[in-house]
Amino acid sequence: MSENRLIWFHGRECPHCRQLRPVVERLEKDNGLTITQLEVWHDEENAELMRSYAQAITPACGGELGVPAFYNEVTGKAICGGRITAEQLLEWAKG
Amino acid sequence: MKKLWRCHVCNDVHLGNKGPEVCPTCGARNAFVLSDRAEALEIIGEDHPVIGTPQEVVAAWRQFADQSPTVRLTEKDEEVELLSQGVLENRNTKGQRYCPCRITSGDLRKDLGLICPCNFTRQRTYREIGECWCGLFIKRDGT
Repeated sequence: MSENRLIWFHGRECPHCRQLRPVVERLEKDNGLTITQLEVWHDEENAELMRSYAQAITPACGGELGVPAFYNEVTGKAICGGRITAEQLLEWAKG
Repeated sequence: MKKLWRCHVCNDVHLGNKGPEVCPTCGARNAFVLSDRAEALEIIGEDHPVIGTPQEVVAAWRQFADQSPTVRLTEKDEEVELLSQGVLENRNTKGQRYCPCRITSGDLRKDLGLICPCNFTRQRTYREIGECWCGLFIKRDGT
C-alpha cells in the first residue's frame, strides 16, 4: 500500500549501499527529508514491496532489480545504481 | 533443454546442448555419450566438496578471474570480503550463492542468472564503466 514515502531499498552486504549511507544521511539532515531504509535480502516483506515496484525500478537498474534503488511513492520515480550522486538523490526526492 | 553428457573414458560430466569434442579432464576425443540426472548425480557423489566459507568463495572468484583475459577481481579487499559474506548468506537463506546486489524474483529459472559470478558482461555498468553491478569484477585495461 502506498504511504507516500521516499524509500531506499538496500542490501546489507552490498558495497555500493554501504558507500551511499553517509550521502543519504547527509541529504536527510541538510534537507529535512526522511528516507525509509528497507533491507531486501534479509527481509522478505521488503523484497516483496520492492518487486511490487518493479515496473519503475527495473528500467532504472538497467533491466534487472538491484540495489541500491530509490523509489519515490509520490511521483513513482526510481533511481538505481552504485554511482548515484547527492544531486541526483535530491532531484529524485523533490520529484 | 540442455542435456547431460558423460565421457565414456573418465566419467567427466557435462551439461550442455552437446558434449565437448575433447574431454577437458582426460583429453579423449568424441567421447561423450548422452547421460541422465540419476547417472550424473551418482557420478558426482554425496561427498563432493561445497563452497561454504568466504575464503572458498573468494578462491573460486580468483580462479575465474585469473583465467580470464578480460576481467580481474577488484583490488578493494574489504568489498570482496563483504560480497563473499553476502553470497554465503544468500546461499543459506535462499539456496544459491546469489549476488547480494540484485534481488531474486522467486522464479528459479530466472534467478539462476543471479548466481555470482553472473553473466555481468551484458550489464549496463559493465558496458559503460567496465564493472559488474557490484564492482567485484573489473574489465582489464586494454580489453
